[in-house]
Amino acid sequence: MSDKKIKLGITLFSLTPYYVTKEWDLERCLKEVHEMGYQGIELVAAQMVPDYPNPSDQWLENFKALLKKYELNLITWSAYIDMGIRTDRDLTEKEIIQYTRNDMIYAKKAGARMVRTQHGITPEVYRKMLPLCKVLDMKLVIEMHSPHHPQVPVWKEYLKIMADPETEDYFGVVPDFSIFQHTPHKLAIDAFLKGGCRKEVLDTIIAMHDAGLGEEEMISGGDYTDYEKEVIADIKHRFSAPAKVEELAKLLPCTPYIHGKFHYITKDCKDPTIPYERAIEIIKKSDFHGYIACEYEGHRFDIDAKEQLSRFVSMINRLSEE
Amino acid sequence: MAFELFNRLLVCDKEITNMKAEDAAVGYEFYVQYPSYRGTYLSCIEKLEIQIDGQIIDTSRIGFYVNGKEVLVEEFPDLFREYWFILDYASVRIYGDGLKAGSKHGVHVLLRHRIPYTGYFGNYMIEDAVCEKELTVK
Repeated sequence: MSDKKIKLGITLFSLTPYYVTKEWDLERCLKEVHEMGYQGIELVAAQMVPDYPNPSDQWLENFKALLKKYELNLITWSAYIDMGIRTDRDLTEKEIIQYTRNDMIYAKKAGARMVRTQHGITPEVYRKMLPLCKVLDMKLVIEMHSPHHPQVPVWKEYLKIMADPETEDYFGVVPDFSIFQHTPHKLAIDAFLKGGCRKEVLDTIIAMHDAGLGEEEMISGGDYTDYEKEVIADIKHRFSAPAKVEELAKLLPCTPYIHGKFHYITKDCKDPTIPYERAIEIIKKSDFHGYIACEYEGHRFDIDAKEQLSRFVSMINRLSEE
Repeated sequence: MAFELFNRLLVCDKEITNMKAEDAAVGYEFYVQYPSYRGTYLSCIEKLEIQIDGQIIDTSRIGFYVNGKEVLVEEFPDLFREYWFILDYASVRIYGDGLKAGSKHGVHVLLRHRIPYTGYFGNYMIEDAVCEKELTVK
């Protein structure tokens, strides 16, 4: 599969339920994803790196040896912009630079060629990281995650910076497919029902949402309980401004890899809430050669993660070959 | 809501241990895990309330031990460089009398924490993690 246009990766964040309960240690996580058919991994450093943000050289060497043992590439070292660490104020520019520099240096030591950061870095600081990217010969890429999308003002700035030829080898965007999610997934629907929303009412709410009705219009058209009104507000808040999947084509020239976000893949290996079929079609027609890193978030709903991760492999393999 | 499923991790299923200095009983301790998918800085803990058998423990009796250091609950806001790794159990030390070996006690913990990267529109998500377990004294 290594010669294929789309390679399968996974963020180890997807294995959270096994990891945080200590059912699987890091090595077991790597072994499992290797056996499931994933070729590359994304490491969320704040999750899986002991002594973070200053891990030991011994840990880093051991980690590299494990990657070799399980034939996995380190796609990226994922970093945060923990802007709200302090109680009295947000991080200063100096602090953002320091945390980002720190992640980049340890990522380099871990064998990564890329660090994923967050939009909170600010366009000003992002530009200032270019010299370090050149010194380390590394990419610093920003994840575009829901509720953001390409039309958000700060993203227009980021995309302009990424289009500058000087940044071409060093900067980029990681589209997280949450930006295309247009309707609640099965697990959210189950949670709404469990919370007390009547099934026939929920069906109607979702049908109205999918038909493009606004919140006020939806509420005025029915007799809802307070909780059902909350459900309407939640759905409208989270799924009213998805990016158009066609916009992916414009992002791909500066996309080194993609976050394959999902919450629930059906038994026939489809995601009815994110337009994967169309997205993969667009990717196949582009010059993109890289990883789709599976990012499973359904574990927040307490279901079988391993089964979901295997279904994702089947879905991407099927769509890649169609 | 997003972090609710992690709340059950907060109070660890380990026994309560009496603390001694030589033969002198100085209190007891139990263990907590940060209820999330990743670690955090201690400054993101906005409140830690401990109840044992329904009684709130005054913070003057509590020592929070992690990374080889014991800190006071009141010190959390200043500890923005102290990282609590997700797999590390912190020990909650309650100073005072010890507990009878083999006895069972209701341990109730409320941890209010700020998610430091969630300020998409200027406000940070604040979560209340609550966990109660019956633990046995070793």
